[in-house]
Amino acid sequence: MIRLRSVDKEYDGRKVLRNLDLQVDAGEFLFVTGPSGAGKTTLLRLLYAAERPTAGEVWVGGERVDNIARARLPGLRRKVGVIFQDFKLLRRKTVLENITFVLRFHGLSPREAHRRAYLVLKRLGLHHRQSALPDALSGGEQQRVAIARALAYQPRLILADEPTGNLDADLAGELLSLLCDINYQGATVILATHDNSLLESIPARAIVLHGGAIHYDGTWPP
Amino acid sequence: MIRHALAEGWLLLRHRGLVSLFLALALAIPIGLAGVTLSVMRWLEPAVGTVDRANVVAVLLHPHMGDAQRAAWLGSQRRDHPEWRLEVVAPEQLAQRLIHWFPYLKDLLERDGGAMLPPLVEITTAVPESVAVLERSPAVIAVGPRTPLTSLLGRVSRGLGIALAAASVVLLMSAVLLAAVWVHLELYRHADEITIMRLVGATESTIRGPFLVATAAPGLVAGALAALGTSAVVEALSGMAEVLGLPGLTVSPGLLAAQAGAGVVLPLAAAVITLMRHAAVDDE
Repeated sequence: MIRLRSVDKEYDGRKVLRNLDLQVDAGEFLFVTGPSGAGKTTLLRLLYAAERPTAGEVWVGGERVDNIARARLPGLRRKVGVIFQDFKLLRRKTVLENITFVLRFHGLSPREAHRRAYLVLKRLGLHHRQSALPDALSGGEQQRVAIARALAYQPRLILADEPTGNLDADLAGELLSLLCDINYQGATVILATHDNSLLESIPARAIVLHGGAIHYDGTWPP
Repeated sequence: MIRHALAEGWLLLRHRGLVSLFLALALAIPIGLAGVTLSVMRWLEPAVGTVDRANVVAVLLHPHMGDAQRAAWLGSQRRDHPEWRLEVVAPEQLAQRLIHWFPYLKDLLERDGGAMLPPLVEITTAVPESVAVLERSPAVIAVGPRTPLTSLLGRVSRGLGIALAAASVVLLMSAVLLAAVWVHLELYRHADEITIMRLVGATESTIRGPFLVATAAPGLVAGALAALGTSAVVEALSGMAEVLGLPGLTVSPGLLAAQAGAGVVLPLAAAVITLMRHAAVDDE
């Protein structure tokens, strides 16, 4: 599903990722952890081609994405559900529209997009806020809308960047169980977090990044 | 995604209603001015034409003159005025030249279908005023424009036409620039949204469509306003001309269609270029 080969990433001469080799199989659940600045977000951004590596190769779903043409980016990003750390919701659109908007890119009719968006909101307990604008929601609610948007079109790969950062322990647990369900249905999930309690809540593979290099790769807890 | 472009374009228009209206007016005025200028210049063509042929005087001969009489008359004029160069206008050019020199005959010529066109002679001379002597000749019906005033009118008409055309071009360029700046500002205002749309898989056409709709809509209004304005102004000018006994002005349907098209195409082209240059930003 995912393969990184000798990947380096530099910002202004500062190495954020160093000679990274990683393989993630289809249907796997992977935690990416490490201290702040370890390169977790950069690693995820490489996978949906928001960044290009300084050196090395990045393959996602059999497609090389480190040198992907701009015209092919939408196609790649429609295969990947990304849960952003800062939510990235459209401020002028309602909660429901934020989700239907993306579903329409996937060729769903307005009616079907509306139905599916409502169902995913209901699953996340947000259906009663479907007409609210993002700015009227709490941080946790906005986070759940971002999650709903990423899950609505049932992608085969889900990248979650600190998805529980704005959620209380109960909601974080619910989210994790939701991601586990999706993973159980066959989707590959990569979840970046520095929350050790989250890692300990389910047995799964984890990689620990430190200074841009993999320090540990195996089942968590070690 | 057409529905998306229309819906989002409408939102852009609604949020920037006054600017859109201003853009429509800024486009309509020069397009309308250009249309009026073209119509008036077409009407003034005979007068303007005299500037380039200031030394040519048209002389209209009696239609019942026979070929022999006409040849004799021409011979006598060549003898009496060796400084004149006389040319009989060929039959196939006659109708066009008659309208050129004597626009007030247009209706008559169109009504009679040129069944009995009077012979026309063009006289080239360094002193056009000297041709006035022919007005007394029984063979002559009329002598065409030849005074310095006519020439002055022609020059003024041509100068006015050039000035109006230049003003139209300058105003039009300003309006097109305004459309481009408007799109640029809207891109800047929606930069975050565009970034998010790209990150969730929106195609470039999805991102750019609303901006094109929001630019084409004022353009459509501008084109319609310009065409309507041109028709109204030309109609008013035509009424004034007819009061003065001059032939009326007309505006061609092709010109109106061109105005409507220009209203949409010009701002749209500005928007496309601006989007190509500035919408292709990095993800973050």
